[in-house]
Amino acid sequence: MNSDRPGRVLEGPMSQSNDPTRRHFLRTAAGLVAAGLAAKAEFAAASSLPFGPEDPEVPNEKVARILKDLFADRPIRRGHVDLDMPVVAEDGRVVPVIIESDLPMTGDRFVKGVHLIVDHNPDPHVAAFHLTPALGQVSISTRIKMKRTTWVRAILETNTGEVWAGYTRVLVTLNGCG
Amino acid sequence: MTSNIGEARIRVPDQIKRGDLITVNSIISHPMDTGFFRTAEGDPIPAYFIKHVVVTYGGQEVARFEWTSGISRDPVVSFTLTADKEAPLTMVWTDNKGAIFKQSVNISFASA
Repeated sequence: MNSDRPGRVLEGPMSQSNDPTRRHFLRTAAGLVAAGLAAKAEFAAASSLPFGPEDPEVPNEKVARILKDLFADRPIRRGHVDLDMPVVAEDGRVVPVIIESDLPMTGDRFVKGVHLIVDHNPDPHVAAFHLTPALGQVSISTRIKMKRTTWVRAILETNTGEVWAGYTRVLVTLNGCG
Repeated sequence: MTSNIGEARIRVPDQIKRGDLITVNSIISHPMDTGFFRTAEGDPIPAYFIKHVVVTYGGQEVARFEWTSGISRDPVVSFTLTADKEAPLTMVWTDNKGAIFKQSVNISFASA
């Protein structure tokens, strides 16, 4: 039958691993993969910088002082914090807040403080939560009062001194502070 | 609204296994007055709120919260905890008049 065919195929052009076209293809493919990885690494680096809408400006002296007292001149970077609040709070007396983070809570590295700051409240530094690794995770929820539409900041401080923030703007219909 | 100031509840899951990451829910009855409001007669209502909360588990402090009157009336707070021992979980709330309110639940493991 065609018993000699396989042998001939093996000797054909396809088997020549040093065929220039094939080598070129492999080099190009490797180059593309490398370029892809580089782009990915670049994206990962970029995503630790503020992105999306700009960080909210510090609106008043009170908030400026709170931030300075808490974090001095350390950079407050956006990331690792999920601040979940309603887009519209119909009743400013009761506004739910959930603060979560993917930062570790181990003996060596943990989030030691969570600060909740409501820019336009009479007392903006609404709450501070001091945590330990025993909690296993950063996932805190509570309910707060809000005077009017404003930015809300959830700022986390790690035991190693890093500062991470999440921001959200909440539209307040009914003043909850008097 | 609950009426007895300082009445507190802590809720943890029914079935807990050693090492579980559980969610602890708590509520305490308190007016959390800001000091900015007046009564219908026009008298100022002084600030009256929970100032801090200390959470201990097996006698060890695991969290401490500092609050203002910006926390809503009848404050709720929930957080996670790694249930790694059978021990009481205790919360102590202190208000700005110095009153202390305490509540505990026992963390115990379900038999497998």
